[in-house]
Amino acid sequence: MSNAQIEIQLIASLVAIACAIPGTFLVLRKMAMISDAISHSILPGIVIGFFITQDLNSPLLILLAALTGIITVVLVEYIQKTGLVKEDTAIGLVFPILFSIGVILIAKNANDVHLDVDAVLLGELAFAPFDRLMISGVDVGPKSLWIIGSILVITIGLLIAFFKELKVSTFDAGLAASLGFSPAILHYGLMTVSSVTTVGAFDAVGAILVVALMIAPAATAYLLTTNLKRMLVYSVCFGIFSAISGYWLAHWLDASIAGSITTMLGLLFLTVYLFAPNKGIIAVLYREKQQRTEVLLITFLLHLKNHNDERERHVNHLNEHINWQKVRSKTILDLALKNNMISIGNKIVSLTEKGDEFTTQAIDYIITNEDAQIEHMKDDFFLFRG
Amino acid sequence: MKQKIAVQVDDLTVAYNYKPVLWDIDLEIPEGVLMAIVGPNGAGKSTLIKSILGILKPIAGSISVYGKPYEKQRSLVAYVPQKGSVDWDFPTTALDVVMMGTYGSLGWIKRPGQKEKKAALEALEKVGMLPFKNRQISQLSGGQQQRIFLARALVQDASIYFMDEPFQGVDASTEIAIINILKALRKAGKTVIVVHHDLQTVPEYFDWVTFLNVKKIATGPVKDIFNDDNLTKTYGINYKVSIQE
Repeated sequence: MSNAQIEIQLIASLVAIACAIPGTFLVLRKMAMISDAISHSILPGIVIGFFITQDLNSPLLILLAALTGIITVVLVEYIQKTGLVKEDTAIGLVFPILFSIGVILIAKNANDVHLDVDAVLLGELAFAPFDRLMISGVDVGPKSLWIIGSILVITIGLLIAFFKELKVSTFDAGLAASLGFSPAILHYGLMTVSSVTTVGAFDAVGAILVVALMIAPAATAYLLTTNLKRMLVYSVCFGIFSAISGYWLAHWLDASIAGSITTMLGLLFLTVYLFAPNKGIIAVLYREKQQRTEVLLITFLLHLKNHNDERERHVNHLNEHINWQKVRSKTILDLALKNNMISIGNKIVSLTEKGDEFTTQAIDYIITNEDAQIEHMKDDFFLFRG
Repeated sequence: MKQKIAVQVDDLTVAYNYKPVLWDIDLEIPEGVLMAIVGPNGAGKSTLIKSILGILKPIAGSISVYGKPYEKQRSLVAYVPQKGSVDWDFPTTALDVVMMGTYGSLGWIKRPGQKEKKAALEALEKVGMLPFKNRQISQLSGGQQQRIFLARALVQDASIYFMDEPFQGVDASTEIAIINILKALRKAGKTVIVVHHDLQTVPEYFDWVTFLNVKKIATGPVKDIFNDDNLTKTYGINYKVSIQE
């Protein structure tokens, strides 16, 4: 690997981490679309900032552009508060207007400004290593690396300091307010971090990929865990994985790096969506099938438990009485036999001791929903895994 | 005998988009009562609680908790929001939700430690939810979720408890468990204020009641003011309930 290749992968990974952290909270707050709005509406901020500073990497430009991001959020909330339109409509009204102001500003000054809309939307990671940061004549690395690195350090610092506050205000804003953690401060804090990250990253990866890097890793992680800290860690890992594998996909296909990273994010989500152990589609379908069988098994065992009369427990009678098809009856009968839940003598079905105990516990659990009742049965049966 | 006043509300007016939902409310809540706030839908019951807790900003009026503004008295107050106000698919466990009750006393930045965890486990025990401490919250029944919310308020060890419809969508056994805890709180000298919908149970559960419908209709001991006259004034129809002594 050449130096430039390593630098590109490093920048892509840092951008992915910096995006995944605020992205996780955006997804949990059901605000994914606001990142799309921010990423587009920072354009006029970038253009105006560029007029003032004449430097695409100036910290002032980043702050000015981030301010446009905050203005977007404020405008969206203001329009929404009138009660005349819903949030998604408000988002759809605000960001195209701000974005188009940026487009017009660029078009009017196309001759003087070294900036075009394509670059803003799609970015060009491949060129990132060419723009070096020189400190007293010494080359210390690509400028984007330093910018996104600084933003990432601040983001991680804020996350560690305010993790508990972010968690409580995301889960229950009312409680947070009553405890003295102003949800408004935390909300605008998160919006500021999202805006700054978007501006810092757009130059390298473009506005579209920023949205993908914020939302896709968090959405993927959400399918895999029920723990907020783990969700953050997974998001970060998925971001890095997509950044690096996307780079090599682009290398192999000789295509856009940003596009390839986004493709990897999409594929990753699809894979997890299909194969996630609990929330994945395949797991859900499999579990539903298992649960169906188990519910039938318990229904059958309960019937045996409730009827002592031999006629009620005759194999043929069971077919008619519980009103199942032959095949289903046989499956359940076999399953119960295999697990030593029943014994069949002279075509009369009886519950074994084990089956009797199992039925009692299962019914107990279904009524009380208490884990303690079925602790030891959990490994054997899907039904009891919540 | 003059009781201490736990919460005092003076001339409170609250509006959404300049449309008042609470008009000029004056209210004194004495210390140590178990009080129901009753009124029809849209009467401003939740709004009243949220305004006292500083979650909503009133357009007029003042509120004091034990003689001082709420902001100075946060540690004395615990709040149980409506169960439906949060996303129960949030990636967290029952224990973690209860721990959130300790965040107020910790303040900004400081993290919860062993002491907070112990307090949370004790609160879970009190509401009978200890066996569920590691359950993801979406895997709990509605009644269990309400108990978790109650435990989160208990862990705050406050003097005044505000609860927004704690009996909504819970089964009979949870309702009894909750009311027993509320009665135990009153016995311990705490003040408990509950937004309540079931008029039939008011005399049985509460000793103090406030009738609210945008304006305050009446407030006082259940045995003195819980009558057909006030119910009719509040709900606007001829209301007949038989109150058993």
